[in-house]
Amino acid sequence: MAMIDEPLYPIAVLIDELKNEDIQLRLNSIRRLSTIARALGEERTRKELIPFLSENNDDDDEVLLPMAEELGVFIPYVGGVQYANVLLPPLETLCTVEESCVREKAVESLCRIGAQMMEQDLVDCFIPLVKEVDYLEMQMHVGKDEITFCNKILQEFDIEFNRSFKRLAAGEWFTARVSSCGLFRIAYPSAPEALKTELRAIYSQLCQDDMPMVRRSAATNLGNFAATIEAPHLKVDIMSMFDDLTQDDQDSVRLLAVEGCAALGKLLEPQDCAAHILPVIVNFSQDKSWRVRYMVANQLYELCEAVGPEPTRSDIFPAYVRLLRDNEAEVRIAAAGKVTKFCRILNPELAIQHILPCVKVKMLMEHFGYFVEELSTDSSQHVRSALASVIIGMAPVLGKVYSILSGDALDVLLVLYCWVSLILEGIDATIEQLLPIFLSLLKDEFPDVRLNIISKLDQVNQVIGIDLLSQSLLPAIVELAEDRHWRVRLAIIEYITLLASQLGVGFFDDKLGALCMQWLKDKVYSIRDAAANNVKRLAEEFGPDWAMQHIVPQVLDMINNPHYLHRMTILHSISLLAPVMGSDITCSKLLPVVINASKDRVPNVKFNVAKVLQSLIPIVDQSVVEKKIRPCLVELSEDPNVDVRFFASQALESSNQVMMS
Amino acid sequence: MFKKIMKGGHRKPSKSDSTENYAFGPPRSHNPGSVVVNHASRPVLSAPEQNSSPSAPIAPPPLSTAAVEPLPLLRDVPVSERQSLFLRKLQICSYQLDFTNMLKTVREKEVKRRTLLELVDFFQSGSGKITEVCQEEMIKMVAINIFRCLPPASHENTGQEVTDPEEEETHLDPSWPHLQLVYELLLRYVVSSDTDTKVAKRYIDHSFVLKLIDLFDSEDPREREYLKTILHRIYGKFMVHRPFIRKAINNIFYRFIYETERYNGIGELLEILGSIINGFALPMKEEHKLFLARALIPLHKPKPVATYHHQLSYCVTQFVEKDYKLADTVIRGLLKYWPVTNCQKEVLFLGELEEVLEATQSAEFQRCMVPLFRQIARCLNSPHFQVSERALFFWNNEHILGLIAQNRHVVLPLIFEALEKNILGHWNQAVHGLTVNVRKMFMEVDAELFEECRRQYEEKTAGAREVEDQREMTWKRLADVAGEREGGNLVAV
Repeated sequence: MAMIDEPLYPIAVLIDELKNEDIQLRLNSIRRLSTIARALGEERTRKELIPFLSENNDDDDEVLLPMAEELGVFIPYVGGVQYANVLLPPLETLCTVEESCVREKAVESLCRIGAQMMEQDLVDCFIPLVKEVDYLEMQMHVGKDEITFCNKILQEFDIEFNRSFKRLAAGEWFTARVSSCGLFRIAYPSAPEALKTELRAIYSQLCQDDMPMVRRSAATNLGNFAATIEAPHLKVDIMSMFDDLTQDDQDSVRLLAVEGCAALGKLLEPQDCAAHILPVIVNFSQDKSWRVRYMVANQLYELCEAVGPEPTRSDIFPAYVRLLRDNEAEVRIAAAGKVTKFCRILNPELAIQHILPCVKVKMLMEHFGYFVEELSTDSSQHVRSALASVIIGMAPVLGKVYSILSGDALDVLLVLYCWVSLILEGIDATIEQLLPIFLSLLKDEFPDVRLNIISKLDQVNQVIGIDLLSQSLLPAIVELAEDRHWRVRLAIIEYITLLASQLGVGFFDDKLGALCMQWLKDKVYSIRDAAANNVKRLAEEFGPDWAMQHIVPQVLDMINNPHYLHRMTILHSISLLAPVMGSDITCSKLLPVVINASKDRVPNVKFNVAKVLQSLIPIVDQSVVEKKIRPCLVELSEDPNVDVRFFASQALESSNQVMMS
Repeated sequence: MFKKIMKGGHRKPSKSDSTENYAFGPPRSHNPGSVVVNHASRPVLSAPEQNSSPSAPIAPPPLSTAAVEPLPLLRDVPVSERQSLFLRKLQICSYQLDFTNMLKTVREKEVKRRTLLELVDFFQSGSGKITEVCQEEMIKMVAINIFRCLPPASHENTGQEVTDPEEEETHLDPSWPHLQLVYELLLRYVVSSDTDTKVAKRYIDHSFVLKLIDLFDSEDPREREYLKTILHRIYGKFMVHRPFIRKAINNIFYRFIYETERYNGIGELLEILGSIINGFALPMKEEHKLFLARALIPLHKPKPVATYHHQLSYCVTQFVEKDYKLADTVIRGLLKYWPVTNCQKEVLFLGELEEVLEATQSAEFQRCMVPLFRQIARCLNSPHFQVSERALFFWNNEHILGLIAQNRHVVLPLIFEALEKNILGHWNQAVHGLTVNVRKMFMEVDAELFEECRRQYEEKTAGAREVEDQREMTWKRLADVAGEREGGNLVAV
């Protein structure tokens, strides 16, 4: 306490900072709202800070967004749940701004606060809860139409609420209404019966709002809201809202209604769902807008669970097969994406008979991998063998398809996925067929094909076994290490450690060692960077002794490379290797090289020397720091180049700190 | 580049259709007479075997050979038979034909094209006074042809964002040869002096107009051009639809601004609005001012603003030129949506700002000059030379110069630091030179003020470090106090 020699006004600090023209400073202070609140204490936070925030929200959206976020976790700072209602006014205002991110965040925060209030013991929280609900209630009365109703309720409310209500009710702008749609699910469950009726009525009005923006929001939130509604009302009120939305004259609204249909369907009894939702959706599956059909294709599977097996077979299945054959590629792809799931709920044999033929080769390839995985783990032995026979029968076709489509990189890739899944299932017979394909794919002209095969190498390894792999695949990998596309090279580098550990030291020495050095001199920075990391990982894998023999000398040799970027890569490698190699080797082998590099003619190399030296300080002995590192840094800190001086002095500073501690 | 290769496979999903093997069953029977909604995928040229979709929404037309027999020309039959012939011709045109496959239904396509051409000529020749029944049927035919679900945009196909608008290959609708004639027909119908709006509004109703406006999202610039002309004519001719059209356009803007940030026809819609705004009567209605504040100004925010900025800027300037009192609303709006990192966008904003300032009077200028010149100061220091150059050009504008000189006591302190920084070290020679000129200008106009600003600037730079430290201290103390309180509470509990 004695430290504070002048009075501190936390609010004044905030006000001051929020007036600053530098947006970064304003952001910083909003991010520290909790500090201010804690300094103020709960009561003053409620009485001073929150009102201040409620009134000062005409800042940039960038500042308002974190404000909406912070307020969502502010309950502890205002004194706990019983005071949570004070947080509502500022959030309510944020619900009405134009920027949708801010609005969404404010709604999220409101829901979060509301949900916490619900969880409290009923008796304890009864009063605040009612207030809360009433309050949220009012927020929803933002549409012009609801004013009369609101006035009625208003008489029962506190003056404070009254004020905020009027402000909202007067706002005819759509933002408030859009936000309100997201709040119903919190407000509804604890509302008294009469209010519930009104809430449903209001929501239904929102579904018919004048602005499509509001209707879209209502459609999006319908599922949420419906989940809180009692079954009898669900069938009547919610279904009529659903009907309204599905008949909207704007495509965008109908789309969202379809998107929510599955969630809604799950809330209904199966027979009701089959009676009310299913016909609508089956109808939509033949809508003239492909976007609608696309949504249906995405939702259909979910609906199966809701309606039960019989309607699934009689109604959904035919619709699904239709979508699999849709004209629009997007729709077919969406439908094919659900193949696996559909096959699982249907009788598997049926699936193989009816669905597989519909799935086009391409889509099959796309999804077959997952399909196989799922079916083969979940179904009976019988299904599995049935499946296997289908697949084996397909093998020649797939092979042919591969050759036809070799121009289409993605397809090739997908064939591969199928194969990989197959091997993982242990269908041994395919290995001989598979290996040549693998090898040719590894040489495919499309880099993404090569890349994806490499990423599957560990799985391949499991199946094919190390011997076969090293004989057949390794030459291909060596070839890929010099691939024209740097991403492919990058992928290979990332797998080198894995390969090295699996193939063992001996194998590694002959084949891959030279490559690792070569990558350090790559034209592309990312490769050099990855190569440096790779060198470190190898040292970790095989130990310092091995590294001293096989890596370190070669790496250090390269410090004389005429290209300064390569010299920098070596410095980087040294800083990575040092912790692995330990203090002795670092002092005897690595450090001299670094010190020597401080005489380089290129400033970039020199300031990197400073950086590396800084990183070496904690590794080596104190005396070495004194004798070798510091003199070198002192010299660099007098360099003509400003950057070199900067990094040198930074390194010196940190060496001072190490010494002090 | 690489990403493109990766996504390449998705981009043309139909390509594999052509090489498709029916590996898992017999090929489905193919109904050659069926008509499909084409656009199955974007740039399809040859799909030898389009599968006929059972879910194709349009029922196969009765295209029996008889139905496509060329009908006699309208002018070759007696007037008494013309109406029924006209209706039969409309009938022929009331089906969409599959343009994904050039070899399919070649004859039908040719017949339909000729028929449409004749209908257009018929209207053009002025002999086109047609009965109400014919009008109704014709609008139905137009609706069947033009109201279709637009094909997936490239980002929907590939999940790839097109960052450079010029890189994007626009999708041209393959059925354009027919579409164009249908649009032409609609246009002639709308502009024809024989068309009585009282009758026509029954067919060109709200729903028709709404769907027409939805088509503005088309990727085909030729289609958008037609839509623009037609909607503009409808707006001019059908007074009853005016508020509705404005509202519908607003809704498209709101969705674009707040939800999708994607829409192809924003520029065309703004072009129509530009001419509508031009015709606003004075004093301006409140509704129109709201439109400025709620739609036009927020339209500056979306990423693709460059694609329609020209039209937007025209609309905004129109507003200010009509009612100069709106100037500070507009300027504050621009400041609100000022780009943070996008320099190209910033140059556009500066251009628009200059035009608005041209029409700004002293009172409005004074209301917004403080935030305005804070922003201009930031622009002056932009490392992108085009931005700082563009900002410096403001001083070449006599009107703006007048406003600045008049309010120099406010303006100079706001930008003094920026000018000094540029002179100390802007990398670009031109910017450097221009800055020196501006500074000289201020010095000559009011040497005393200039000295005062310099003094303040020096004080500020000297004390900058201190202010920074002070700020950190304050926050640290706050954190301490907060910590203490918390500790105290814990003890109390």
